[in-house]
Amino acid sequence: MRWPSPTTVRRLILVVILALWEFVPTTGLLPELFLPSLSKTLTVLWIDRHIYFAALLVTLYEVALSMLIACGLGILAGAVVGGVAALRNLLLPIFSSLYAVPIVILYPVFTAWFGIGSQSKIAFAGIYGFFPVMLSTAAGIRTIDPQFLLAARSMGATLPQLVTRVIIPASLPTVFAGLRLGGALTIIGVVVAEMLTSSAGIGYLVTLNRTILDSPRVFAAILAILVLSIAYYMLARALESRMIVWQSVGRQQKSSAPTSPAAVAAPAAA
Amino acid sequence: MTRTQIIVARLALLALVLGAWEVLPRSGAINPLLLPPLSEVLATLANLLGRPNVHEAVAVTAAEVIVAFIIAVPLGAAAGILIAENAYVGEIFKPMLFYVFSIPKSIFLPMFILVFGIGFQQKVAYAAFTTAFVVLMSATAAVESVRSDHIMVARSYGATQTQILLRVYVPSMMPVLLETLRISMIFNFTGVMIAEMYASRTGIGHLISNWGENFQMPQLFAGVIMLATVAILFNEAVRALEARCSTWRT
Amino acid sequence: MQHLANMRDVQGRADQAAIEVERLSHVYAGADGGVPALQDISMSVRAGRFVVIVGPSGCGKTSLLMMMAGLRHQTEGTILCHGRPIPTPDPTRVGVIFQEASLFPWLTTLDNIEFPLSLRGTPREERRRRSQAMLSLVSLEGFGERYPHELSGGMKQRVSIARGLVQDPPVLLMDEPFAALDEQTRMTMGHELLRIWSTTRKTVVFITHSLTEAVYLADDVLVMSARPGRIIDHIEVNLPRPRTYEMMATDVFGKLRDRIWQQIRRTT
Repeated sequence: MRWPSPTTVRRLILVVILALWEFVPTTGLLPELFLPSLSKTLTVLWIDRHIYFAALLVTLYEVALSMLIACGLGILAGAVVGGVAALRNLLLPIFSSLYAVPIVILYPVFTAWFGIGSQSKIAFAGIYGFFPVMLSTAAGIRTIDPQFLLAARSMGATLPQLVTRVIIPASLPTVFAGLRLGGALTIIGVVVAEMLTSSAGIGYLVTLNRTILDSPRVFAAILAILVLSIAYYMLARALESRMIVWQSVGRQQKSSAPTSPAAVAAPAAA
Repeated sequence: MTRTQIIVARLALLALVLGAWEVLPRSGAINPLLLPPLSEVLATLANLLGRPNVHEAVAVTAAEVIVAFIIAVPLGAAAGILIAENAYVGEIFKPMLFYVFSIPKSIFLPMFILVFGIGFQQKVAYAAFTTAFVVLMSATAAVESVRSDHIMVARSYGATQTQILLRVYVPSMMPVLLETLRISMIFNFTGVMIAEMYASRTGIGHLISNWGENFQMPQLFAGVIMLATVAILFNEAVRALEARCSTWRT
Repeated sequence: MQHLANMRDVQGRADQAAIEVERLSHVYAGADGGVPALQDISMSVRAGRFVVIVGPSGCGKTSLLMMMAGLRHQTEGTILCHGRPIPTPDPTRVGVIFQEASLFPWLTTLDNIEFPLSLRGTPREERRRRSQAMLSLVSLEGFGERYPHELSGGMKQRVSIARGLVQDPPVLLMDEPFAALDEQTRMTMGHELLRIWSTTRKTVVFITHSLTEAVYLADDVLVMSARPGRIIDHIEVNLPRPRTYEMMATDVFGKLRDRIWQQIRRTT
């Protein structure tokens, strides 16, 4: 018997999940309170679409700003700390130790300081994304082949030229990985923060409707978040695949970051 | 920079940060209501460590962390090994893994609450759920990190599957396994915290959340320091163990 | 292959050395006084010659080459290229080829070859013209739009050579350029290199570990001692040009190789 192709199996799994989502609740196998049917969820999403759309906008706004912090600062800091040996030896171990602390415990501090509005989410998600992006960029910067710099110097490149014509192009794959990571993490951070203490946003809708036991609306919000994070991931990968030329960049030592569980686990977070 | 120079520099940095934490609120440069001076926070911490309700909360949190870990690790590891070892299963699920990782798993908290209510089981279930994925991913990476040429050599000498498992896989994966456990514990801790802060009546996360809501900043920061210290100590301890086991790793 | 202005200068003063190294020493700074790397090296390379430097590992041959290229500065002594010193790398006077081709993976073959020209702001059309010419010179026509990861090791080194030659420097320095290639490719590349050299009449200083390669390629072989590196022998290879593979089997070839080997053995 020929096994069906993996892609087919994946699609089948998706179909089965959707089917179960629809039929398990409607046939009463699980109470609607625990799992409202897919059709009910979608109906409610459609009815309240203005509310959900407005909430999504708030969330996206918070995600965008926290990405600026997490990716902007994270990539910059990672490039500097990773590139300058003295800083690297001094600071990197400190940062990777700090990574062990669940950043979420700082969120009440941010709500106390900034209130329950967007600011606290942005501050929190910004920091949440900052550390992993910084660590990932610092590691990635080190995979740049130093031979490139030697070759460019031998061709008479000045320092500004070394930076713009060699270092920046060579570090683009790392930067893109940092952007993808940062985006995923800030989405997670914002959603968690909105679920915990908030007055707006899609995460807030989850909590709000849960407390009034309106399961269909809870799941509608969950669905919206699912779509958001998957859409982001697909967008990031599409952009990255344009850079496929550099996937086979030489001198990527096998022992470096990509195969370690730490690097692999980084986006999993909450 | 020599080793001593680095250590001195780090200590200096630490002193600078701690010093700022003390001086800035005291001098009024930062509102001491928002950021209490370090000495006040530490005093509060000492006080809290003596309180029975804090002891209780710590016990609850610790129990959740441990139980969730015990559940998550075997499940995640089994799934991860399956994905790594079985090419067919691997091809099906590996592309999905990346999507799964991008999803904020906290959105499933309401489901756990709906099913389990607010209590020990819900938090453990949620934390185990999130941790299992991390373990899965790390386990896959760990299994795939075993070099195929090592396996080939062992096979060419007639080693049985069990022997290859015990004499090649395990030693090869040992440092990676430790790292896996360390990283998984970080996420496990995070998961428990999120669950406790979201909807719980017990646990340190709940206390912290409460203190935050009531603007009890000294207590809040004391709790943060306590948790951070525990997390970092655990992390460094496992890291030291990892270093011991991985002297042969490049 | 067009002859450019600087070539005529070289030929004008036929007696002026292409490379003149005078009493060069180098000490690496260290915690305890420093490590002497090169000791009192003097050599004179006539224009248009193919000079090969051999020596045991760590003898400083690469350091010497770096200094000739202006990438590193010696602690004592002078290096002159056609009568002028080389304080900073100048690809119009000295082209450098490393063991690793180090082609930039984000650029096509042609873009890689033009890279030095683009650093100097040469107009686009001229850049294209020159890089195409170099591409033909190294027999890689048609591969201009490929990316480095699509090329074999030997092809990458050819692109690296083309890049070194694109500004038509009179001198070419090569640091074990074929060491990372398999033996067969090495032999082909050596043959190619001699063809390119005889067409362009550059002065070449070539470092290698392979004694066969040294005798096959060189007009002159300089043997260096173990650290601190000194020049302990200068062997003139009088085999006729163009060199052929069959020469490798001759007695003369074998004796030359043996002489080099004995020198190296004595010094280690």
